[in-house]
Amino acid sequence: MKILVADDSRVMRQIVIRTLRQAGYDDHDIVEAEDGRDAYDKVHAENPDLVLSDWNMPNMSGLECLQALRSAGSAVPFGFVTSEGSAEMRDKASAAGALFLIAKPFTEETFRENLDGVIA
Amino acid sequence: MTLAPDVAGRLAIPSLIDEATVEAIAGEAWIALVGEDEVLVPLPGDLPEDTLSAWVDVVGPWTGSVVLTTGRQTAAELTRALLAEAAPELLDHEDVADAFGEIANVVGGNVKAALPGPSTLGLPEVGPAPAVRNPEDVCRIEVLWRGQPLVVSVQGALPSLPVPHDQHQHPHQNGASQ
Repeated sequence: MKILVADDSRVMRQIVIRTLRQAGYDDHDIVEAEDGRDAYDKVHAENPDLVLSDWNMPNMSGLECLQALRSAGSAVPFGFVTSEGSAEMRDKASAAGALFLIAKPFTEETFRENLDGVIA
Repeated sequence: MTLAPDVAGRLAIPSLIDEATVEAIAGEAWIALVGEDEVLVPLPGDLPEDTLSAWVDVVGPWTGSVVLTTGRQTAAELTRALLAEAAPELLDHEDVADAFGEIANVVGGNVKAALPGPSTLGLPEVGPAPAVRNPEDVCRIEVLWRGQPLVVSVQGALPSLPVPHDQHQHPHQNGASQ
């Protein structure tokens, strides 16, 4: 299984990848993207099985990326990992077709709760 | 808690969030991101002369910045702690701007969620601390991390300071301003 991790912070990408490993998802291929535009391109180039994306990024936000993917006919499973976990953001994420929204700061338990059933 | 609007009818931050909430948000961010033993101790300390700040702007019913300030060395130590085994032997400014900015982003995002909305969160910026514009519109906590002082200031952006337009510098979009 291939997971695309999109965040404009390299540090946060490292933390997300580390948390995936700690949560027990340690035998998957990881692809990194540094903003929404890069994530959009890499979904087409790499064909990941899941996208874990930050919301607030330069060039193209995570929400814009998800909307662009759906407009282009991609049904790739997509979840947000973002510092903004308000009800308003969760509603927007869900309306755009996101499977879940994990709020930062997160723990490996939060990852398991959201990813079990999504990651085989 | 009383809701006391300022002269322009805006709510000042002390009526919207208290120190205990900011402290809890910062403490949770440290434990989740830096490590489960990385406790923020609610004690004041003297910041060294050479400090670095990381902040995010919140724009909405309340507009201002969530600013983290600590010594430059402590910011570097925080970067190593966040990167863990991925930390390079020699950190450069971009690493520190990225790590310190990201933790400001997490603290700022959670502060934003505790404030009245809808509001938007800006991208993290790193550099010298933005000036306090209205001392009545500040919620500030002082803590120690690994014995070193760290200040979290939730400070209003209005009213603007009288800065001429030609002196205004927009920091780097993605963090580093120097």
